[in-house]
Amino acid sequence: MQEAPFVLLMLTDSLTLAFRADVLGLAFLTLALLMWTAVGIYALRYKDHQENNGRFFAFYLLTLVMLVGLSLAANYVTMYLFFEMMTLCSVPLVLHNGSAEASSAAKKYLFYSIFGATLGLLGLFFIHAYSISSDFLPGGVLDAAKIAGNEEMLRTIAFLAVMGFGAKAGLFPLHAWLPAAHPVAPSPASAVLSGVITKAGVFCIIRVIYFQFGAAFLRDTWVQRSWIAVALLTILMGSLMAFREKRLKTRLAYSTVSQVSYILLGLFFLNEAAFAGALLHVLYHSILKDGLFLSAGNILYQTHLENVEELKGLGRQMPRTLGCFAIFSLGLTGIPPFAGFLSKWELAAGALSSGLLPYAWLAPAVLLISAMLTAGYLFPIVIHGFFPGRAYRSEGPDTGEAPVAMVGVVGALAAATVVLGLFGAPILKFFLDLAGTIFL
Amino acid sequence: MNLLYNVPAFSILLPMLAGVICLVLPARASRRLSNTVIVVLALLSFLLLNSFLDGAPTFTYRMGHYGAPIGNEIRAGELESAMAMMFLVVMMLSLMGGRNHLRSDIGRSKVNLYYISVLFLLSSMLALTYTNDLFTAYVFVEINTVTACGIIISKEDGYTLAASMRYLIMSLLGSGLFLIGICLVYGLTGHLLMPNIQEAVNQLVQNGHYQAPLQVTIALFAVGLALKSALWPFHSWLPDAHSSASAASSAILSGLVLKSFIFLMIKIFFRTVGPDVMTGHAILNLLLVFGVLGMLLGSVNALFEKDIKRMLAFSSVSQIGYIFCGIGLGTIAGVSAALVQVVVHAVTKAMLFIAAGGLMDASGGRKDFDALQGAGKRDIVAGAAFVVGTMSMIGLPFFAGFITKLTLVTAAAGTHDWRTYVSLAAIVVSTILTAIYYIRVLSLLFGRNGSEEQDGEVRGRRFLSAYLRRHLSMDTEYILAILAFIGINLWIGLRSDDLVDIINAGLATFQ
Repeated sequence: MQEAPFVLLMLTDSLTLAFRADVLGLAFLTLALLMWTAVGIYALRYKDHQENNGRFFAFYLLTLVMLVGLSLAANYVTMYLFFEMMTLCSVPLVLHNGSAEASSAAKKYLFYSIFGATLGLLGLFFIHAYSISSDFLPGGVLDAAKIAGNEEMLRTIAFLAVMGFGAKAGLFPLHAWLPAAHPVAPSPASAVLSGVITKAGVFCIIRVIYFQFGAAFLRDTWVQRSWIAVALLTILMGSLMAFREKRLKTRLAYSTVSQVSYILLGLFFLNEAAFAGALLHVLYHSILKDGLFLSAGNILYQTHLENVEELKGLGRQMPRTLGCFAIFSLGLTGIPPFAGFLSKWELAAGALSSGLLPYAWLAPAVLLISAMLTAGYLFPIVIHGFFPGRAYRSEGPDTGEAPVAMVGVVGALAAATVVLGLFGAPILKFFLDLAGTIFL
Repeated sequence: MNLLYNVPAFSILLPMLAGVICLVLPARASRRLSNTVIVVLALLSFLLLNSFLDGAPTFTYRMGHYGAPIGNEIRAGELESAMAMMFLVVMMLSLMGGRNHLRSDIGRSKVNLYYISVLFLLSSMLALTYTNDLFTAYVFVEINTVTACGIIISKEDGYTLAASMRYLIMSLLGSGLFLIGICLVYGLTGHLLMPNIQEAVNQLVQNGHYQAPLQVTIALFAVGLALKSALWPFHSWLPDAHSSASAASSAILSGLVLKSFIFLMIKIFFRTVGPDVMTGHAILNLLLVFGVLGMLLGSVNALFEKDIKRMLAFSSVSQIGYIFCGIGLGTIAGVSAALVQVVVHAVTKAMLFIAAGGLMDASGGRKDFDALQGAGKRDIVAGAAFVVGTMSMIGLPFFAGFITKLTLVTAAAGTHDWRTYVSLAAIVVSTILTAIYYIRVLSLLFGRNGSEEQDGEVRGRRFLSAYLRRHLSMDTEYILAILAFIGINLWIGLRSDDLVDIINAGLATFQ
């Protein structure tokens, strides 16, 4: 039995603003706090590169507050409120440098997010009308008597609500804000945007599917198949777009679109192994993507270079940054023993054991193709950086390695990649146990 | 309770009497008289509402010495007294908030004439709320039309003249259709009192006589009142009228005048035609479709506006669409959601228009977006009101707008057919469109100050006290009005059960 939620206030006599710390919420909260701290330390040094820092850090911290509220939300309306507030607080981070491109990217972010949240709001209202309790309960809260005859409508609403929250997680077709917002936001902001805020969308999807509608209600339906199809499409599309993209931060943004859909794919298979793999990938991807964005930030800070082709021969000047970038690339591609391998393995295992044809074998195939594409869009950066070829003559001044604090944070994340990759099994076991409590 | 029986009649007659007295009073005295009348009536309506909530039954009150079936009657219940209170409170706050603009827009010598119009307008709105017969309804519909024009045209410039001419023509067309409907009903049933008409209509339907004229009558009532409440596609008079008028007038027009006609329409559907005939009637589907189109097209039009008051006016067209979407669902839950939106929109839109007035003041009297850059920082109370208004319009929990979305979606979910999907799709799309144009204005208001950077801009606490020092003495009423509006918005958002219960209890005894 869960403990009773802490009710802050009652909006109506059935909708309350309430908080509860359960294992899933605390896990997400811990991830958010750790990433925020690491990137915050980085930002304290990076801020010399930008203006209006008071405003930046204010919204940086406010977004964290909203994330705390989101992870500890005990019911749908509280979660929705903090989700919207988090969107509103993170828009100024995208808007920060005030350029025309930033302004249009911020608008895109805002409107995609609000559209998605409104779809999620529909989910709230229907759950409210058809449920036994408005709290999050593992296995769902639908009242069998009330929903009789309306299952198709509720399935449609579940589909729309998840697609709506998926906008935040970069799920096709509402993913277009990601490649627009990342290059214009300051590097620490891009890092938390990709690393944690997209996972807020994932978190909301977990709550909606597993704690409100219930996996049993959605298993083997057109809804599940559509979700899986969309996730697979996003994975492939994100990887392909990243492969073609020349601007480094935009390439990393498309990579996020692809990688977060790995997580969503795991969630959509509705079995324990895939779920645990998805959660593990949440952890791994946060660390890896934050590391990649912060490395890009180092490069930007020192050399002001934005395009991948310009990074040839960078390894001579910034060996530590590029070395960490290499570790993150290995992890993201899914090469043992780095973080990223175990989660993909578990995802594929979960897909194969699900018995949902044709996705049971199609998903691991797509994961494999995507891994090759990931290698294709990340490894060349490292290789050309360290081995530019005999004909290469370095142009531009040698501005040296990034400041110690920034390299230090990136290095710490790289170390975490290695350690968590080597010792991933206990973490996976933790997530499998968690999955066991959710899949009743 | 005995004395409280007189409150509805008093509410109608007292403002008219005060209006006549205002003819001979100077500006300040007429303002004081008007405020006193509104406050007194608000208190009386509150007492009346309380007595109903304590269990008193609804009552009808005969005006004059002629009883049914030929006399005039008014009827009071929870719903009517709650609506009356809403009209009175919002009118009070609108007049307080727009007071400074009255001086500059109208000219001191004619302010008392403005208050005459306002008082007669108030009287007509309260009469439409309480009326129980169609004849009274028609008389006060006409008074409403004329005095609404009066408050637009009291600000004398070319725009208001053109706008109020257009308003007058379209509104009189609506009244004309309404009058033809009344004549037809009188011809069919021989009655003008609503309960009597309902009995007769039920008999007609049972006997199967005069079905075509009956349908035409219902259509005439619906279209006539829809013209006056700015349902799409009958809304074209609204943007000009609401944007050219003075701040207080815009607030009253958008927030209250439209609602009085909507309430009359609901009353006619419930009490004159009767739920037995109205349930499943095709006219409701038509109202739903027009409401949905209004929700979408009002927002689309607002997106293209570069003038803040026109944008707010088109936003009103969109929000009125929500109300008709609720009515068009054809269920009690739908009408309840529509009434919730009536209250919420009145409170929110009046606040936004008053705040727009303040922002215009802080931008040299101009209302186009170029001039309003950074106005939210220059007039921080108006900026705060705009933030609250935006959050309410988007429908964030905590604010009143969330409650209307909640009740409307729940009502739409209750009808398990095409109406559910159409309403839900419209709500989602119009929310995102609303978010776009409101947040765009917000970022404009709190953005850079344009070319006029103030040297040594005071920051932080000193900024707030500097603002207060500058404004508190002159604009006390304006600041208080906005704070009161924000407070009401948050109160509805946080304690919506009070409002929703009153509306539901009122609807249960509405026939």
